[in-house]
Amino acid sequence: MKPVPMTVISGYLGAGKTTLINALLASDHGLRLLILVNDFGAINIDERLLASRDEDTIALTNGCVCCTMGADLFLALADALDRAPRPDHIVIEASGISDPARIAQAALAEPDMQYAGIVTLVDGLEFQSLMSDPLIGDQVREQIVKADLIVVTKAQRGVKVPGLDELTRSEVLSAEDTGALAHLVFNEPVMDQVPAPTSPHPAYTSWCRRNAIGVDADLLPTDLARRPAGLFRLKGSVMDRNGTCRDVQVVGQQIEVSISKGHSDPTLVGIGLSERVSVSEIDDWWKQVIS
Amino acid sequence: MSDIKVFQAKTIITMDSTVPDATHVAVRDGRILAVGDTTCADQWGDVTHDASLADAVLMPGFVEGHAHMLAGAIWEFAYTGYHDRIDPQGRLWTGLPSLEDVVARLADIDAKLPAGAPLIGWGFDPIFLAEDRLSRVHLDTVSTTRPVAILFSNFHLMCVNSVALDMVGYSETTLAEGVVKWPDGAPTGELQEMAAMFPIMRRLGIDFRALSQRASAIQSYAQVATRAGVTTVTDLFSHLEDEDLDIMFSVTGEETFPLRIVPALAASGDPGALAERALALKSRSTDKVRLGAVKLMTDGSIQGWTARVKWPGYVGGQPNGIWNMAPEQIRTTCAALHAAGVQMHIHVNGDEASDIVIDALASAMREAPWPDHGHVLQHGQMMDDGQFRRCADLGISVNLFANHLWYFGDQHVALTIGPDRANRMDAVRSALDAGLTVAIHSDAPVTPMGPLFTAWCAINRETMSGRVLGDAQRISVAEALYAITLGAARTLKLDAEIGSISIGKSADFAVLGSNPLEIDPASLKDVPVLGTVFRGRVKLV
Repeated sequence: MKPVPMTVISGYLGAGKTTLINALLASDHGLRLLILVNDFGAINIDERLLASRDEDTIALTNGCVCCTMGADLFLALADALDRAPRPDHIVIEASGISDPARIAQAALAEPDMQYAGIVTLVDGLEFQSLMSDPLIGDQVREQIVKADLIVVTKAQRGVKVPGLDELTRSEVLSAEDTGALAHLVFNEPVMDQVPAPTSPHPAYTSWCRRNAIGVDADLLPTDLARRPAGLFRLKGSVMDRNGTCRDVQVVGQQIEVSISKGHSDPTLVGIGLSERVSVSEIDDWWKQVIS
Repeated sequence: MSDIKVFQAKTIITMDSTVPDATHVAVRDGRILAVGDTTCADQWGDVTHDASLADAVLMPGFVEGHAHMLAGAIWEFAYTGYHDRIDPQGRLWTGLPSLEDVVARLADIDAKLPAGAPLIGWGFDPIFLAEDRLSRVHLDTVSTTRPVAILFSNFHLMCVNSVALDMVGYSETTLAEGVVKWPDGAPTGELQEMAAMFPIMRRLGIDFRALSQRASAIQSYAQVATRAGVTTVTDLFSHLEDEDLDIMFSVTGEETFPLRIVPALAASGDPGALAERALALKSRSTDKVRLGAVKLMTDGSIQGWTARVKWPGYVGGQPNGIWNMAPEQIRTTCAALHAAGVQMHIHVNGDEASDIVIDALASAMREAPWPDHGHVLQHGQMMDDGQFRRCADLGISVNLFANHLWYFGDQHVALTIGPDRANRMDAVRSALDAGLTVAIHSDAPVTPMGPLFTAWCAINRETMSGRVLGDAQRISVAEALYAITLGAARTLKLDAEIGSISIGKSADFAVLGSNPLEIDPASLKDVPVLGTVFRGRVKLV
C-alpha cells in the first residue's frame, strides 16, 4: 500500500494554526485530508460542508476529516492510519509548544507514512518578543529551525520579519498564500503538470527531468541539499554512473535517498514557487549535478 | 439494624489524636463505628467479634496519591529491571544485574510463548548496568523468529531484535533520528522516543491506554495496591473515555473489589471544555471511583534533563528542559479550571516549573475566590523553602516524590543538579515545617508502589549507594505515616472519609505484621504487609 504523506503544522499559541486548518479543510484541493487537531474549540466548518460530527470527529462533504487527538497524539495517529479508506494526506496540528520534528520523525520511521514537511507558522507581530522570552524562546526558535516551510501571519505580504532569515533557509510564505501552501505541500509533483493555482498568488515552477542519469551516488545528498533555493520538493528516481537507480524524496530540509526496489524509470520532478525559482535555474543546477 | 463486627488487633495506630492507639475497632455498614477496647461498640447492640487479625497491627488504609493504572497492566510484559520487584500475584521477580541475566530471563520466557507471539519486556534501565549497551545482538540470541521488544523503565526508549527491525524495515538507510546506529550505519536495535518506537508499538500492539483500561488491568492494579496496604489509589493522567468508564464502573462495582480509585483527567485542549468535562465526570463518581480532578503536565523529568530548572541549571551544562504546556497555557488552564471549581494535580519536577505554576495559581486565586480548592503540586522535587511558604500562603498542597531519593539520588548528585540541590530534593521536612499538607508517592510503575517503602525513603533519605541525601530534610516515622495516610487523603480531598481510623470514616485498614512506631526506622521498609481491610471486608495477600 502506498505510504500516506504526513505534514506537521507547528507554531506557537496564537500564530494562526487553526485559521490555516480551517482554510485547508474548506479549500478545493480535491484531497481527502485527515487533520488531527488538539481540540475543536476554534474549528469552524461551513454548515454546507458538514457531513457529520461527533465528540471527536468532524467529517466534511469534500472527503476531509478532522479528528481531535486527545492527550495522546500517537494513539490518534495509529487510529488515523487504520482508517478505511486511508486518507490521501495526514496533517497534524502540533501543540503550541511541541517540537514538530519529534512528530514528523514518525513519518520517516513508519513505513506506512511518507514525510511531507513541517510547516511552521510565525506570528509576525510577536516574533521578536517570543525570541527573547527566557521561558519559551528556545522552544519556539526550534519550531522555526526545524521547519521546511514558514508561513508568516499577521504581517503584510512581502515585508520581511527582522531576524527570521537568520534562523531558517526554508521557503517563507505569507498567510495570504494558503493556496500556494496547499499546492506545495499536498500535491504530488507530476510530470508535465501545468499547475492550476487555487489562488491568484504565486505561480509555480514545475520542473521535470526524464532520463535522469549520470549522478554521482556519493555526492547525491549534498547535491540535492545545494539545489536552488525555492525548489521546495523533488521526487522520483535517478540513475548513478554505475547504472544503479535511487529513489529521491526531497521536502524542504528533508532529503531521502534510497536504492530503488525493482525496475524504475529514472525521472525526477520538482516544484517550487516561480517568484523564487525558474526552470532555467533548476536546469543549470542539474547540469552541474551530472557533470 | 445491620451487623456490627469488632476486629481485634495487636495494636491499632489510628492517626486520630482522640484515640491514638487502640486494640479494637468496630465496623458497621463498611464504616468505623467505634474504636477502643473489646467493649467499644457494646452500646450499639449485639456485636460479632473477629479475632482473625488479632496478631496484626492495623493502620488506616494507605493512600497512594500519585500512581498510574499501568502499574498493574504492565505485568503482562516480562520484567527485566535491575531491582527486585513483586508482581500483582505476589511472585518475586529478582532484579537482573547484567545483560546476560536479562537475556537468560527472556530466553526462559521465549520458551513458553506460543510461536509468532511477540515477546515484550519492560523496566530495563541501562543507568544501573556498567557494561555494553543492550542491542539487537543480545536480543537476537533470545529469538530469531519472533519480534522481541524491551521497553526501558522511563518508557522513552526501547530495544528490539532483528525480527522486529525487519517488520518495520529499519536499516542503514532509515533517516528517523531515534533509530540508533552503529558506526557502520546498521541499526543497533535501540529506538529513542515515540516517533521511532511508534511503528514497532503499532505492530506489536503495545497500547498503554488499551492496556490500562481492560478489566484485567484494573484487577491487577487492585492486587498491586492490596499487597502494598493501599486502599485508595490515584490514576493520575487518565483519558476517561466513556467506554473506559463503563469498564471501570463495572469492575469496581463488584462488592469484593477492594480499592477506591481516584483518576485524574489528562489535561489537553481548550481549558473551558476541559473544565466542563471534569465537572461532568465528577457527577458520575461512585463510592469506589472518584472523578472530577484534572492532571496537568508542565515540564519533563530531572534525570532526563527535560525538567525546567532555575539558575544555575544542570551541572553538565545541558540546556534547560522542555515545557509540555507553555507557561501561558499553564496560566490560562489554571485560571479556567480554578474558576470552574475543578481541583488540579499539577506535575512539576524542576523548580522553574513549580515557580510558574505557583504564580499561575496565585493569579487564578485573585480572579476567583475558592479557599478550599485543594490544588496539589505533584513531584515538586526541587521546591525550596520559599516555594513551600508561598504554597502555604495559597493553600496549595504538595505530593513529593520520595522514592526518587533512593532510586535516582546518586544520579542527581553526580549528573543532573549536583549535591547542593540534591540534598534538598523532595524536601518533606521543609514542606511540613511550612505547614503544608504533604503526601509522598511512588509514581508506580515508575517505581514500585509501597507506601511503607516511600515512608522509609522520606525518613532515611538514603540513596542506592548508601549516601544520606540531605540529613536536614529527614522526617520522623510518625510524620511519614501521616504523609501516606491522612496527608495523602487530604491531597485527594477525601480526608473526611479516609486517612485515619476515626468514627464515621470508611473501614479501610492496612494490615501489618509489625508496628512501624516500635521498630528501628531504618527497617520500616521491611514491615510485612499482610493485606488490607476495605469497607470492613478483609483481603489478605
